[in-house]
Amino acid sequence: MSELTRTGLEPLNIIGNETARVDAVERVTGQAKYTRDWKLPGMLYAKVLRSPHPHARIVSIDTTEAAALPGVRSIITHEDAQVVWGSGSVNGGRQYNDPTKDATLHRRYIFNNPVRFVGDSVAAVAATDRHIAAQALTLIKVEYEELPFVLEPEESLADGAPQIWPEGNLCPDFRGELKPMVSDIGDVEAGFEEADHVFEERYETSFIHNAQMEPRCALAHWQRDKLVLYTPSQGISNCRHDTARDLGLEDHQVQVITKYMGGGFGNKNQNQDADLVAATLSRRAGVPVMLEYSRREDWLGVHGRWPTVQNYKIGVKEDGTVTAMELRGYSGMGPYRKNSGGISGMDAYGCPNRYREIHPVYTNRTTSGNFRAPSEPHGFYGVENMMDEVAYQIGMDPVEFTKINMRRPTEEQQFTNYSLEEVIDDGVDRFNWQSRRKVVPGSDDGPIKRGAGFSFMMFRAGVGTSSAIVRVNAREEYTLYVGVTDIGPGAKTTMGMIAAEALNVPLSQVEVVWGDTDRCPYSVGESGSRTTIMTGIAVVEAVQDLQRQIADGGMPSGSDVLIASASPTPTTDGKTRQCFGAHFVEVEVDTRVGSTRILKYTAVHESGRIINPTTARDQIRGATLQGIGQALHENLLYDPKTGQPLTPGYYRGRHLTHKDIPDIDVHFIEVDDGYGPFGAKTAGESGIILAPAAVANAVANATGKRMTSLPITRDKILGAMA
Amino acid sequence: MRNKDKRDNRSDLDSNIDPVVKYADPTRGLDPQQQSRRDFLEGSGAAVVAGAGISALGISTAQAQSSNSAARTAISVTVNGIQHSLEVEDRWTLAELLRDELDLTGTKIGCNRSECGACTVIMDGQPIYSCSQLAVWANGANIQTVEGLAVNGELNPVQEAFVANNGPQCGFCTPGQLMTATALLNNNPSPTTDEVKDAMVGNLCRCSNYNSIVEAVVMAGEQGGVA
Repeated sequence: MSELTRTGLEPLNIIGNETARVDAVERVTGQAKYTRDWKLPGMLYAKVLRSPHPHARIVSIDTTEAAALPGVRSIITHEDAQVVWGSGSVNGGRQYNDPTKDATLHRRYIFNNPVRFVGDSVAAVAATDRHIAAQALTLIKVEYEELPFVLEPEESLADGAPQIWPEGNLCPDFRGELKPMVSDIGDVEAGFEEADHVFEERYETSFIHNAQMEPRCALAHWQRDKLVLYTPSQGISNCRHDTARDLGLEDHQVQVITKYMGGGFGNKNQNQDADLVAATLSRRAGVPVMLEYSRREDWLGVHGRWPTVQNYKIGVKEDGTVTAMELRGYSGMGPYRKNSGGISGMDAYGCPNRYREIHPVYTNRTTSGNFRAPSEPHGFYGVENMMDEVAYQIGMDPVEFTKINMRRPTEEQQFTNYSLEEVIDDGVDRFNWQSRRKVVPGSDDGPIKRGAGFSFMMFRAGVGTSSAIVRVNAREEYTLYVGVTDIGPGAKTTMGMIAAEALNVPLSQVEVVWGDTDRCPYSVGESGSRTTIMTGIAVVEAVQDLQRQIADGGMPSGSDVLIASASPTPTTDGKTRQCFGAHFVEVEVDTRVGSTRILKYTAVHESGRIINPTTARDQIRGATLQGIGQALHENLLYDPKTGQPLTPGYYRGRHLTHKDIPDIDVHFIEVDDGYGPFGAKTAGESGIILAPAAVANAVANATGKRMTSLPITRDKILGAMA
Repeated sequence: MRNKDKRDNRSDLDSNIDPVVKYADPTRGLDPQQQSRRDFLEGSGAAVVAGAGISALGISTAQAQSSNSAARTAISVTVNGIQHSLEVEDRWTLAELLRDELDLTGTKIGCNRSECGACTVIMDGQPIYSCSQLAVWANGANIQTVEGLAVNGELNPVQEAFVANNGPQCGFCTPGQLMTATALLNNNPSPTTDEVKDAMVGNLCRCSNYNSIVEAVVMAGEQGGVA
């Protein structure tokens, strides 16, 4: 059994106590309604035809035969449905910025010509039945002129590479200029001069599909000039705004409903092409349309974590002080730039001389986008394996090496609190780091080798604008309106607990209304681990307003109600607010077959005050396991000759199953820094940041061979040991 | 007769000898004439790559032709204790029958190709992937879905344990996890952690809430199983 332990703060009345989700019964009885579970009168079913080619110009599309199939009601293609999907491609990957979307150089439409990856949308059909819609797709005749394609980011930038966009294959920045992302701090050349040793290595990471269990879908229903959209969205407010903009509507003309959602994992705090396709078909057909993606379509047509190449150069003194860090990175974005392509991790070090140059690059692979901690897990894997290797090369314990070099508060940049050292020390003790680590990597005799790895991180826990409304009636029943969706972390329950604590009433006296833009105020959305903090602060302030009203005029009587709302924009007084974590893992590698087994896993986190230990624990465990999958298994391989994806789907992607799962001990060091609701910080993304780095470091410690590309599959271990 | 033959074959899989195989692909061996749905789809995917190139992804010409007519067959099926006599289209899966015709939307479709287990229901005592069974094959069968687990509003012990130990995160895989766990506890009232993992290997959870799910099933077993 895995352990959950906590130190630092005592539970409050509600907060800090292990609490079952307020909607747990709906979730275990099949009553929870997900988007595909809705059925509206006269509803049609829709399906999308997708490109079988990695890069091709559509010469012609003939829909005559498909349209003649009994039951087919509407067919749309790039010829007659030219809807810009603003979130589908943005200069610089800036998702929440209308002016940037307006100025975007490389626009993505719901259907594109040329098509630029296997899975790019070509046409959509709405029919009375999903089987008829599927059949109609096969009757659409598309003539393609195949174009040369490119899959690897560095090849994509080479002279003579196929041009995916007229201006070339380097993605434009937010100004529309074709420049890499550069961060230049201090004097990196002087730093290398100062170093006793300079190390260089190249790391690579793979495309990781979100692979949420609920395949993408959308149900659109027009009521005169208003669109009602049922869709799995991590952010109903942003989804509404995006959809309104893309369809030429005002925000109030769109109602987004997301009651239950089968997982998020990123890049869904916005609208999706499925929303726009369903809305367009529904408007033309005059009835509601349910668009359903298959699992394969979801895998290829949606998005996942960008694959990267990371070239590091590190200068270090004999005493372990890092004097210079350099990263030249490439991120494969697919043919549209949905998000940044960032590679984070170097910022967790205090080295004064740091140069980072990242090229987000177009390729003819499936589109990349934010996946849980968008820039971090691959970046921390790269930099922390680089640094782990440097530590062993100069004969130091990686933990000691980290303590010399990790970022700490400075006069110029203070933290709201800083507990990284405490987190690391706690993990060292709990895990017995000194006894599990091999001082000489790979020193176990025999073919079965054990070793231990470590990783650390800090991750933003900033504050920001969000809203909440709270209402009370004469029976002292409270209703909390928050624009959250409940994608898995348990935001409804967390918001209810924060309200109940602030109101000093039992949780059962608070009803939470969520997931509907017509009923709930703005929420920042379930991304960036922000909901607990930002919407949580709004809940606290709305409750304070209500309490002032009650103090002034007493509780309502009869059928009266009191209503209070808040839309705060808090600050952290110029300080940076971070959560902290350190992971320690012991692995056993069977070098005869290349398999890696996890023997012990200890995750220590400081995420401020923990609101609900049960769900917080499972955010850490679930994210960690996703990170282990990224470290050891997951990849979307392509055939270089044909540009065809080879491993879409859970089996081929080799996703973790019950039998792969180690116990994961989670320890929270709780702190209240005075910011955030009751001191809460971020939790949802922090686990995944640490797992790939820690697992890969452990494999290196066990085998004595540094694994410089993820996933660490059996063939790579066998190759390294050969 | 054909349906009966299939169930007879399935009973070969009822033994506890190799629960991994049993749960991983319940369509295997149902009918010697019947290619498994997964094999079929894997094959058709390859055909798309090598073939005409204008097919939609994952929809092969063969599949389209087989769905040209919407032939219907009368079946009788018992679901959560209620007997239904109805006509089904031959191309409907059992999951479609449950969700679209009987409005039992608790059963989820995550992959529609025997990969994820979200659609798991209990059919004649066995957990099966309802996405990979045709509705016509369910003629005469006794089926339990997630909606049938609670009796008179009383959650069963696995459901109770899922509530207490945060079994669901997003909840999409939860119905399938609950059905496989219930079937396991019906046969093995207090399984060990390893037995739970073996039995449930065919139910994926991308939230990766595996630890909590297994802990909950073991907890339910310790509290007396589902009897």
